[in-house]
Amino acid sequence: MKKISKILLASSLVLLAGCGGSSGSGSAAATETKDAKELYGCSVINVYNAGEYIGENVLGDFEKAYNATVKYETFDSNESMYTKLLGGSAYDVLVPSDYSIERLISENMLQKLDLNALENLDQLDPAVREMQKVFDPNLEYAVPYFWGSVGLVYNKNNVDPAVIKEKGWDILQDETYKGKVFMYDSQRDAFMVAFKALGYSMNTDDPAQIDAAFDWLVNMDKAVEPAYVTDEVIDAMMNGEKDIALMYSGDAAYVLSENEDMEFIEPDQGTNIWVDAMVIPANAGCPGLAHAFIDYITDYDASYQNSDEIGYTAVNRKVFEELSADDGTYGGISAYIPRSGYDKDEVFHFNETLRQELSDRWNKVKIGSN
Amino acid sequence: MKGFSKMSYPYVIWALIMIVAPMLMIVLYAFSVKGNSVLTFQFTLDNFARFFRDSIFPSVLWRSLKMAFVTTGLCILIGYPTAYIFAKMKPGNQAVMILLVTLPMWINVLVRTYAWRGLLGYVNFGNELRVYVGMIYNFLPFMILEIYTSLSKIDPNLIVASHDLGANDMETFRRVILPLSLPGVVSGITLVFLPAVSSFFIPKFLGGGQYVLIGNLIEDYFITSGDWNFGSAISLIMALIILLSMFVMRKLDHENKEAAD
Repeated sequence: MKKISKILLASSLVLLAGCGGSSGSGSAAATETKDAKELYGCSVINVYNAGEYIGENVLGDFEKAYNATVKYETFDSNESMYTKLLGGSAYDVLVPSDYSIERLISENMLQKLDLNALENLDQLDPAVREMQKVFDPNLEYAVPYFWGSVGLVYNKNNVDPAVIKEKGWDILQDETYKGKVFMYDSQRDAFMVAFKALGYSMNTDDPAQIDAAFDWLVNMDKAVEPAYVTDEVIDAMMNGEKDIALMYSGDAAYVLSENEDMEFIEPDQGTNIWVDAMVIPANAGCPGLAHAFIDYITDYDASYQNSDEIGYTAVNRKVFEELSADDGTYGGISAYIPRSGYDKDEVFHFNETLRQELSDRWNKVKIGSN
Repeated sequence: MKGFSKMSYPYVIWALIMIVAPMLMIVLYAFSVKGNSVLTFQFTLDNFARFFRDSIFPSVLWRSLKMAFVTTGLCILIGYPTAYIFAKMKPGNQAVMILLVTLPMWINVLVRTYAWRGLLGYVNFGNELRVYVGMIYNFLPFMILEIYTSLSKIDPNLIVASHDLGANDMETFRRVILPLSLPGVVSGITLVFLPAVSSFFIPKFLGGGQYVLIGNLIEDYFITSGDWNFGSAISLIMALIILLSMFVMRKLDHENKEAAD
């Protein structure tokens, strides 16, 4: 229960700080305090990020360093984030996924970044910047936040590593594991699995291939009767509730670090490689401070805190090397180092018509299950 | 009275903005093609056709109605005797029992449902049974309270009179108590059936992610798929069913009152 002990530690630190009273004011922030109001003319930013995606003290430290206020909100999917944006909500920093950024760029909902205001870009992993070019070709709209892949977490006591290695995604159609599988309830990830299992591109819009993938999922549903879940899968797999689960590499790294029976595999048939990145909407109210925030998150300290606590793979090269080293927090944990440079792995592209096609079919797969 | 009716203006305005306007928007979305703005409204019945074209969506609707019927039925079966026993107790004890029924309702439904998920994790129930347990647990207090209220309002003299006129306990119950308590049952049904048809988080949390009801479909099409037009069409179909059931309920209630008079 690393997370809980951390929360306890954090709260006791807060208590200690409270006891200290007003005596120590300079020691809290290591860097000199800047004044956001003076620098940018505004001192409040609205940040919209995925849930469970930021270190405990990162926001507080930033607020101290810039004498600013961060209004922080979280979403549970890129789709619900987009729905909220359509509803007219204004934010200064968003952290969507690659395909979602592609969509926002195409709909002119983002502003180009002022690259001169970002001093820490050279700390980013060049490989991740290369992946970013898929959705942001000139690297002018986004700064990577985390990156990773999608794979299967399995209990190595109940599932033979050799078998899952050989079968890959097709293990999800093996009746031996009936009732022992968690499927991530996301049409995008589910169809990715089916497309890859069948040897297609996950960005296909060929009707015959979509139908084949639908049939594959229906068969999967019949064969293993999976429970369709979202974030609750993290705790469930930590407790070993089922034997196989479709998970993002970062969540998998967290599960693996808490439960030694669990192992992670990216099937040889290929998978989805993704990058989540920070962007500034066109209608941001305080873009100056938003840039400062993005730069702060990219820097070593914040990046280390985020990745260390959450388990997703850092985009800061130095942080990644330290955390994945043998004596690092995620040393020896395969899921922390997503596969890169494998030709069957793909980045997802936004495709509105495909999305609609898939949403009806995905509901049918789930409804058909009872 | 005139002065009082003026005081309802704020509520009327509130209702217009918060209830009527959103309903109109749902109707607008349900009958329009995706991507339309108000300026380029394009009428269509496609969203409804899509719902009925494929047997899978009506089957979900049927499943939701079935779930609501069974939940309501079981709530009456459990709730009526419970309320009857409460009404027969000493006034002091009645207050305690009602407090005990109300007590869990002070805790948020979401929290209670999560608690059930933990509890049901220890027993080997099927997904459907789990959902029923959660639904009945959640809706039973409404039924008990409604029936109890109408039972406790019955004038005891009527029961004494019934006995004086030669009716035994069974006949008294059937011919006096039951008809007089029916309005409570009817409003209990309204309070249980209508929310039960559209509930989506209890099936979601307790059904192991395998139990899709009409509420889940609507949520999915609005939030995940971002297909507001189809989502609105489903909402409208459900709203019609709810209106229809309210109409039937009212009619029943009305007949009861006439029979009682």
